Amino acid sequence: MDRKKLVEFKNVSFQYEEEGALVLNQVSFEIYEGEWVAIIGHNGSGKSTIAKLLNGLLMPKDGEIVVDGQKVDDDTVWDIRKDVGMVFQNPDNQFVGATVQDDVAFGMENRGIPREEMRERIQRTLSAVRMQDYLITEPHRLSGGQKQRVAIASVLAIAPKVLILDEATAMLDPTGRKEIMHTVNDIQESEGLSLITITHDLQEIVQADRVIVMNKGEIWEETTPRELFLQRESLREIGLDVPFVAQLTDELMKQGVELKEAALNHEELLEELWKFNSKM
Amino acid sequence: MEIQFKDVSYIYQENSPFAHKALEDISFTVEAGSFVAVIGHTGSGKSTLIQHLNGLSLPSRGEITIGDFLLSSEGKPKNIRDLRRKVGVVFQYPEHQLFEETVAKDIAFGPKNFDVEQEEIDRRIERLLPAVGLPAEILERSPFDLSGGQKRRVAIAGVLAMAPEVLVLDEPTAGLDPRGQREIMDMFYQLHQERQLTTVLVTHSMEDALAYADKVIILNGGKKYMEGPPLEVFKQTDKLQEVQLDTPEVIHFLNQYNERFGTSLNYQHQTLQELANEIKGQLEVESDE
Ligand SMILES: Nc1ncnc2c1ncn2[C@@H]1O[C@H](COP(=O)(O)OP(=O)(O)OP(=O)(O)O)[C@@H](O)[C@H]1O
Ligand SMILES: Nc1ncnc2c1ncn2[C@@H]1O[C@H](COP(=O)(O)OP(=O)(O)OP(=O)(O)O)[C@@H](O)[C@H]1O
Ligand SMILES: [Mg+2]
Ligand SMILES: [Mg+2]
Repeated sequence: MDRKKLVEFKNVSFQYEEEGALVLNQVSFEIYEGEWVAIIGHNGSGKSTIAKLLNGLLMPKDGEIVVDGQKVDDDTVWDIRKDVGMVFQNPDNQFVGATVQDDVAFGMENRGIPREEMRERIQRTLSAVRMQDYLITEPHRLSGGQKQRVAIASVLAIAPKVLILDEATAMLDPTGRKEIMHTVNDIQESEGLSLITITHDLQEIVQADRVIVMNKGEIWEETTPRELFLQRESLREIGLDVPFVAQLTDELMKQGVELKEAALNHEELLEELWKFNSKM
Repeated sequence: MEIQFKDVSYIYQENSPFAHKALEDISFTVEAGSFVAVIGHTGSGKSTLIQHLNGLSLPSRGEITIGDFLLSSEGKPKNIRDLRRKVGVVFQYPEHQLFEETVAKDIAFGPKNFDVEQEEIDRRIERLLPAVGLPAEILERSPFDLSGGQKRRVAIAGVLAMAPEVLVLDEPTAGLDPRGQREIMDMFYQLHQERQLTTVLVTHSMEDALAYADKVIILNGGKKYMEGPPLEVFKQTDKLQEVQLDTPEVIHFLNQYNERFGTSLNYQHQTLQELANEIKGQLEVESDE
């Protein structure tokens, strides 16, 4: 199957200050239509910088970024931003509307979406994040998690081709986080958009198709979640960790419980234990 | 210091058409030197509750005592400055507490404000930087030009630099990398133990609540929904699910395990190593039968 390449980083380097250190060093990767890629890495490893380069808030010092066939530069940036939706790490940095519904409407107005359609999308996206009762609330009067929910609704409403969530669910309770990621995942699959999630939540990584691991401004590894979590020791060395299931699998193996497959979730681990049990 | 809430309600924009009751008739006690976790889903009132602990918000009804301080709807106590010196609050979004030109000035702001000498402040900073996992080079940078996790670490250092007697933490590990989450929670716990720091932690991590808290308080829709030792509270899976809360992953896994294998393994703060050993032992018994 020939998948369409939606995002490409070609040897991208970046520094915030002329004499400063390189914050990104020769970073290259590709992301395809309909794909979910997680970007993880220690604090300060360059994840948010990648996100800001991707929608032209920053320009590379070296290298090239291509979004849906267009090179990101000063001429194309406004066009590209229409296709790239982003939720920032701190939602306060992105609220523009005086009320929740104005905020969701804002991005759509910029894209010339008709009134009727706007109204419908406001309802639909706010319901999807369970914030439909807060239409006329001022964003600064929301709780931390409510702010994140509204920020996600605002970006879903513009139906971008590329969606970047920069720790966009960090303030949600685990159930809320699962629910929202489920919603986003559904939309991603039905619309074929590329989803990039930047996260420290190991549970969230498990669901991605691919993981890019950043370390000190460089790509340390690019792999699947299953492969990644086999590398427990080296992940710890670069400030990361593996999820509970991988840790428990590890301990069980150490104690002589032979499990064949690296389980990614409870069900898989229980299945492995069941197989082991019937062999004994 | 002991903290006591007595029938506390809090209403945002009271006497306006937008009035919103965020806390309703809340009563509980945080014993001096204990570690309490406050849990609840989005909008349940956690941040509103802890903003009362340093008098940032005052109850609309009811009373709060924190050591010798009394907070009520009557207005701020005269000695509120003393209260703020003794109660350190790490807010949910670090941006809300960073404002100085450099990281060094930012961390020094609190203690300086409370007349701690510069020499002592420098000593504290030197001790705190490695504890929050920041390199010394960062001191001269602007706190606004840092990554999200780095800002969080600076905000935490700023609160600890005041050497508070009560530590109030509103989702302090959000935005930290996995190692940072573990190290910083361990550091809070160590402080709590060494200095008998009364600690109130708002968290979405049931794992942290289970690992560190003496008591868990669960909020739902502004009301107290449950209160008790973590093992007691987290046993009640159904009751938690009613308010969209998960049990800690290890307990959830053991429940599923027991269901599948017809066993009754129990979580009692075992390490993963001990758990693996129990599971192995149980599998062996099973296959002998
Ligand atoms: N505006 C800025 N000016 C100067 N340096 C910056 C700026 N923003 C970020 N940096 C630095 O660039 C590096 C990468 O930051 P970035 O925000 O991309 O990290 P991150 O991987 O998103 O980290 P986190 O997990 O903490 O959010 C860090 O060392 C940070 O201090
Ligand atoms: N400044 C404000 N004005 C009016 N209402 C507010 C204000 N701040 C919060 N609220 C409302 O009060 C309720 C409780 O908010 P609070 O911030 O205490 O929740 P929380 O439990 O901390 O949630 P989260 O987990 O999302 O941070 C929410 O419904 C919120 O919308
Ligand atoms: Mg970041
Ligand atoms: Mg909150």
